[in-house]
Amino acid sequence: MTTAQRASAAPARDPGRAGVDHGEPQPHAMAPPHRGAARDPAAARRVRPRTVILGFAVACAVVGVIAICVGSTGWRSPWAWDAMVGELRAPRVLLGGLVGAALALAGVAMQAVLHNDLADPYVLGISGGASVGAVASLALCPGIAPGPAAAAGAAGAAVVVRALARGPHDPTRLLLAGVAVGSILGSATGLILVLAPDSNLLRSSTSWLFGGMGTPRWSALTAPAAVIAVAAAWLARQAQRIDRLALGSDVAAALGVAVPRLRRRVLAVAVVLTAFAVAAAGLVGFVGLIAPHAARRLVGQPHRALIPLAGLLGALLVMAADAVARTAFAPREVPVGLVTASLGGPMFLWQLQRGAR
Amino acid sequence: MTTTSTTTAMIATGPLGTAPAPREPGSPILEAEGLAAAHKPRSPMRDADGLVVGHKPGSPILDASGLAVGRAGAPVLAGIALAIAPGERIALVGANGSGKTTLLRALAGLDRLLAGTIRWEGAALPTGADRVRTVGVLFQGEVGSRFTVRELVGLGLGLDGPASAAAQRQVDAAIAWAQLAALADRSCAALSGGELQRALLARAVVAGPRAVVLDEPTNHLDPAGRAMVHALLDRLRGRVAVIVATHELELAATCDRIALLHGGRLAALGTPGEVLTPAQLAAALGVQIRRLDDPDGGPPLFRVIAARTASQEAA
Repeated sequence: MTTAQRASAAPARDPGRAGVDHGEPQPHAMAPPHRGAARDPAAARRVRPRTVILGFAVACAVVGVIAICVGSTGWRSPWAWDAMVGELRAPRVLLGGLVGAALALAGVAMQAVLHNDLADPYVLGISGGASVGAVASLALCPGIAPGPAAAAGAAGAAVVVRALARGPHDPTRLLLAGVAVGSILGSATGLILVLAPDSNLLRSSTSWLFGGMGTPRWSALTAPAAVIAVAAAWLARQAQRIDRLALGSDVAAALGVAVPRLRRRVLAVAVVLTAFAVAAAGLVGFVGLIAPHAARRLVGQPHRALIPLAGLLGALLVMAADAVARTAFAPREVPVGLVTASLGGPMFLWQLQRGAR
Repeated sequence: MTTTSTTTAMIATGPLGTAPAPREPGSPILEAEGLAAAHKPRSPMRDADGLVVGHKPGSPILDASGLAVGRAGAPVLAGIALAIAPGERIALVGANGSGKTTLLRALAGLDRLLAGTIRWEGAALPTGADRVRTVGVLFQGEVGSRFTVRELVGLGLGLDGPASAAAQRQVDAAIAWAQLAALADRSCAALSGGELQRALLARAVVAGPRAVVLDEPTNHLDPAGRAMVHALLDRLRGRVAVIVATHELELAATCDRIALLHGGRLAALGTPGEVLTPAQLAAALGVQIRRLDDPDGGPPLFRVIAARTASQEAA
């Protein structure tokens, strides 16, 4: 958009508020009265980012404890640490938090590399690759958990998409290659489901495709926890460089960022995080989209605050959604991905409506 | 302009013969504005006002020679030689497609050179966070991001660590310089074109660079916005070398020298009086332009009389 277009578009964005007094001093005469002052997202961002992050860390812990207390067999008080709580609920809730954090961080990373707020961890054909991997694994070796095959499928699809869109970095080409590869892999998934002789495959695949943590053992948590901790720390260290990516490749390079290398690494981290989330919990939709989006509304664009807050929001969202999934239709359980999508969709629409007003 | 003379910045015929001088960690060019407080210079050269103008008398801040940029076989630019003195202001003038932006991008280290060398203070353009202390940039067509003005300007520091109090002061000084103090916490997406341009200029100078590279900084701006950009550039005069691509001949006329580009080559290089002549402009821009001198002593005005016709072009 050119400056002229922007200048003409800006008043239209906020017709009724021209010249609103926003209570700030205007020390120099040349500053014109400000359009959109009261609606400025930055103005709403008065709370310090550190306070917001701390607040959500506490909220995350509280939700985690509550999620451990509730379940299909009823409420257990937090201090009654029995086998049910210690061996079944606690690892599952923690894994949910890890999966949510991984998806949210992957979403932030994907959005930064693709310059697109609508990118989620599963673009670049990752959901299609994960589905093919999982369904093939369930069809060929039903006894084995489909997680590793799904992760391999996800990473493989991402590598193929990246290779197809090689050349000068172009987010649109990457996204379109992702859509095409994802659609091919999606039809392959359907083909396996339809042609497979095992009639149980459809049912077992469906519950995996909608996501769910299952009943993990404590030992299943170590690898994802380590990977997510390392990835989060690395992303946080790169926060200021990732910020500069948002200014465009040329400006970022002129500001001293090794742009192609940074973009490659951020993308690789996003794919690894998504692969681990997929391996642990299948396809849990919407978390990687809504958590970064909500975090951005709270602390703005700088990734120094955005990365930790998005991770916390993702963890909180999946832990809460999983608690709902376990209790809403107890004793039956619904896939957690259905809950995140059915809660996340309306939340996202509400945010969009607020943003449009 | 007390120390910078255009004679020290003649077209260079080759790389500097002298060994590269050791680089200082940062340049307090904007010290008087409080913009470079975070840098500790070792032995800066100062002009009569105490402003840092470089670290070696007479040595060009930028020395480019034999530049060719573009695709092999079809270079956009060829045979460009340009040396710029500390604090000098030089305009790149030329028709659309004449290579102004390509030259600026090459100077800012964005494009691979087909041939030639670019030396910033006798050395290659540093990478990483040091780059912003050598050259600040303002490219064309940057859109308002979701950063606040303060966040955007802070990104110009090239920081890779937590922002120190000194860095914060530097950001505040640059924002005050750009007269955006009242808008510091506003999202860039809510700024007018002129305000955004000033914020981007503040980002270009916040690290206290030796030079800034500006691609049509007054494009699309209203008269007041242009006047403010001109005023900001005037406050850099003699302290920061300014390399500005512009179609605004009135702005070019205020520069120390003008490089006239035509078809990817340097058609002329000299003072405004030497370059902004009807004959030179007609040859490079394809228009007949009349120069109108301001009786009040201001910079001259330029008025387009007529576009050259195809038959004139052929002749």
